[in-house]
Amino acid sequence: MTSQKSAFPFPITEKVLANGLRIFVVPYDSPGLVAYYSVVRAGSRNEVEPGKSGFAHFFEHMMFRGTERYPTERYNAVIKAMGADSNAFTAEDMTVYHILAGKAALAQVVEIEADRFRNLKYDEPSFQKEARAVLGEYNKGSSDPLQKMDEALCDHAFAVHTYKHTTIGFLRDIEDMPHQFAYSRQFFDRYYRPDNVILLVVGDVTGDEVFPLIDKAYGPWAKGPSRPPVPAEPPQTREQRVTVPWKGASLPMLFMGYHAPAFSTQSIDGPALEVLAELLFAERSRLHKQLVLDEQKVETLEGGGGRHVDPNLFLVLARVKQAKDLAYVESTIDKEIASIATKGVDEKTLGEVLSHARYAFAAQLSTPDHVALVGAEFLALAGRLSAIDEYFARLGQVKSADVKRVARTYFTPQNRTVVTLQPEAP
Amino acid sequence: MLLSIALTTVGALAPRRPAAAPSPLGRGDSLPKGLRTVRLPSPGNPLVAIRLLFQVGAADDPAGKDGLAALTAAMLGSAGTQRRSWAEVLNALYPMAAEIQTYGDKDAFVFEGTVHRDNLAAFADLLAEQILTPRFADEDFTRHRQDALDFLTKTLRGNDDEDLGKQAFAALMFKGHPYGHPTAGTVSGLQAITLDDVRRFYTAMFTQDRLIVGVAGGYPDDFPETFAARFSALPAKGKPRKRLPPAPSKSSGVVIVDKDARANAVSMGHLLDITRADDDFYPLYLAGSYLGEHRTFNGLLMVELRQKRGLNYGDYTYVENFIQDGGTTFPLTNIARRQQHFEIWLRPVAPQTATFAIRGALFELDRLVREGIPAAGFQATREFLLHYVDLWAQDPSRRLGYAIDALVYGKDIASELKARLPTMTKVQVDRAIRKHLDPRRLSIAIVSDNAAALRAQLLSGKPTPMTYDTQDTPAEILEQDKAIERFPLPVTPSRVKIVSAGVLFEK
Repeated sequence: MTSQKSAFPFPITEKVLANGLRIFVVPYDSPGLVAYYSVVRAGSRNEVEPGKSGFAHFFEHMMFRGTERYPTERYNAVIKAMGADSNAFTAEDMTVYHILAGKAALAQVVEIEADRFRNLKYDEPSFQKEARAVLGEYNKGSSDPLQKMDEALCDHAFAVHTYKHTTIGFLRDIEDMPHQFAYSRQFFDRYYRPDNVILLVVGDVTGDEVFPLIDKAYGPWAKGPSRPPVPAEPPQTREQRVTVPWKGASLPMLFMGYHAPAFSTQSIDGPALEVLAELLFAERSRLHKQLVLDEQKVETLEGGGGRHVDPNLFLVLARVKQAKDLAYVESTIDKEIASIATKGVDEKTLGEVLSHARYAFAAQLSTPDHVALVGAEFLALAGRLSAIDEYFARLGQVKSADVKRVARTYFTPQNRTVVTLQPEAP
Repeated sequence: MLLSIALTTVGALAPRRPAAAPSPLGRGDSLPKGLRTVRLPSPGNPLVAIRLLFQVGAADDPAGKDGLAALTAAMLGSAGTQRRSWAEVLNALYPMAAEIQTYGDKDAFVFEGTVHRDNLAAFADLLAEQILTPRFADEDFTRHRQDALDFLTKTLRGNDDEDLGKQAFAALMFKGHPYGHPTAGTVSGLQAITLDDVRRFYTAMFTQDRLIVGVAGGYPDDFPETFAARFSALPAKGKPRKRLPPAPSKSSGVVIVDKDARANAVSMGHLLDITRADDDFYPLYLAGSYLGEHRTFNGLLMVELRQKRGLNYGDYTYVENFIQDGGTTFPLTNIARRQQHFEIWLRPVAPQTATFAIRGALFELDRLVREGIPAAGFQATREFLLHYVDLWAQDPSRRLGYAIDALVYGKDIASELKARLPTMTKVQVDRAIRKHLDPRRLSIAIVSDNAAALRAQLLSGKPTPMTYDTQDTPAEILEQDKAIERFPLPVTPSRVKIVSAGVLFEK
């Protein structure tokens, strides 16, 4: 595989309806199967009003509560008759609804998806019951200390930006959700609009087959009102440190977040940080060899930046075997970052990182559903699938000097928040 | 590195590693000396998946050495070879973005990986080297044994109530059975294992007669044979497999795992005397799917407990051992068992409604056994499964996993369902339900931070009314709640035990 090849090696057909709805169709060799993704370009980042954290995710649940034409039971019956794998997920910058079904069901998939995006209708009792299912989802995650650490990290790392809360939201807001029926309608009205949604269809289809169905089903959907801005986060000026107590057993953990730039296909910084993450935290890295294999002080070591609409955090997580080693592990990571900031990376190693990135990405494209999942992220971030190739082209341009610079620029104490988990049980 | 922490993505389904289209059962045949192979060519595919399945699992752990099979597998799949340290292996795998994944269960361990065909030869060399010439280095042994101990004593006991509930349920139901300890082992078992034990176990158990070599995807024509032939270097025959004792037919009672917890994770079920190899498995599979296919919204329990009552996040049912494959909706392959079980999983329920939720699940199961599956539910589930099975095996690795399972059981679950469902009748399903499911036989595990009060409530025989903090619950649900709140629980004082999470899996 050479770096000149397209990272996203599929033909793409695109159409934009008069109401602003964009549709991307990607034929894929998967006889009889189609993945249908509806990407809403709103997530927990868009929860700008106080007391409304977690609402994008809650709303994802409400989208399964039916319309006049397809009440919940009928919607469920239709999905069941298709034998489809249908679900959704929410993240900071997106809410994604996905159906994987047989091609024969495509027309009906378009119909029921268009119907719920245009005509969602639920009553207050069912809204309240679903709010409690969301609390159940919070409860599900509550035995994982990373949920608490993530809450603490976001809350301390951000002062005004909505990345301050996790996607599932503050517990106090989740508990209050049953009382927010009116706001839920406002949220739907604001964000579930054709100019804020992108459709992605991958599989045994062509644009000629899909576009007429979508024209008919989504064409009359009206554009929405203007949407409130998301507050910009000012630069962090001093290091934040938080200790999270934990009742019961756990390995101690070190969790750090460094402010990092937003996703861009123009800037080299994001790709350079991805390379730096590999150098620091891949299983073959010096840090992994030292801390996990040789000294055996750390059970797992991970790090990376993710891709976000607004500047977010480059995360580092170490599950440490003994609490007394937390400070040592932190200082060892610091030293390795400082070393790369000074010495950079040699050409051979950089070549291996780029080879790894390309093969790892190619391996993600093994099914139509997975191609759609990858595509959905880039559509939410950039609004176009061509952003994938643009991003990987930029990644191929990363040089040692770029890696040194981003290591110096972003990995400073005043730019980070450090969360440690201290288990109370031995 | 793609960060796998996945912290802030939540939802009905987190981002997943999906699967792909249905596949014909692979060609299973044998090389000289009886080595079994499965080949699934798809010449246009740029990826190649390899699976090495050894029919060796936690059920083979010797007495007092619980965890030996898992530790030995880790010393093969994630440790050094005679030629390279583990760090050097990782270095060699890195530019290909390849990984050797090792996982296992009670009756099997698997070493598998998927690579771009550009890298097939190099990856195959590494994988064969891992299995055929392990280094058995002290530092790898120390690391893996400590990781297993930390998993049991820290992660399982304190970081994941859902998994803790499932493991506690399995330990309860399989008490005294070779499946009765976690695959990772027990604390005392792991502490007793030496590196010599690992060496001996490898020689005795990781043998040709227990191995299935599978290859799928865009590989060269001669690859499977030459690759599989390398494993003729393993001993031809190993120690005979232990026969499993007969399955206990009665309930093992209730275990309440006492620990700090915001909500109560619940797992319940009982042993079955059928597997995919049996005709009754298929109508019973339909019944389980009707009650609740994993992570779908259409199951009866999901609708009744979550959708109508808001009790928790999800409620599912299984008629065989189930482990979710990564972030997908679908089951992990190659965890075939000789002894299967029926299981209901209630995701964590708020403490004040936990007993009601358990009663709700029992109420529905009891009704299913007494009245049979409703005709409409039967038709809808049959229609669902006829299409849904097409989604189970989409990429080369999962296709290969299913093909290997078909070799193990003698039947391919997807092909069997596709063939049998069109002519399956409600009568057949009802008969299978009555014959194989029994609410009175359920063993139940509950994770709770108020174990004594919960135990007293379970034993009191008193109703546990549902009090909604939400408005306008429909009258028909409130009416049904009156029957659920007093539904008999299968409990007696001597069979409801409290166990501190801090001592679970010690022995």
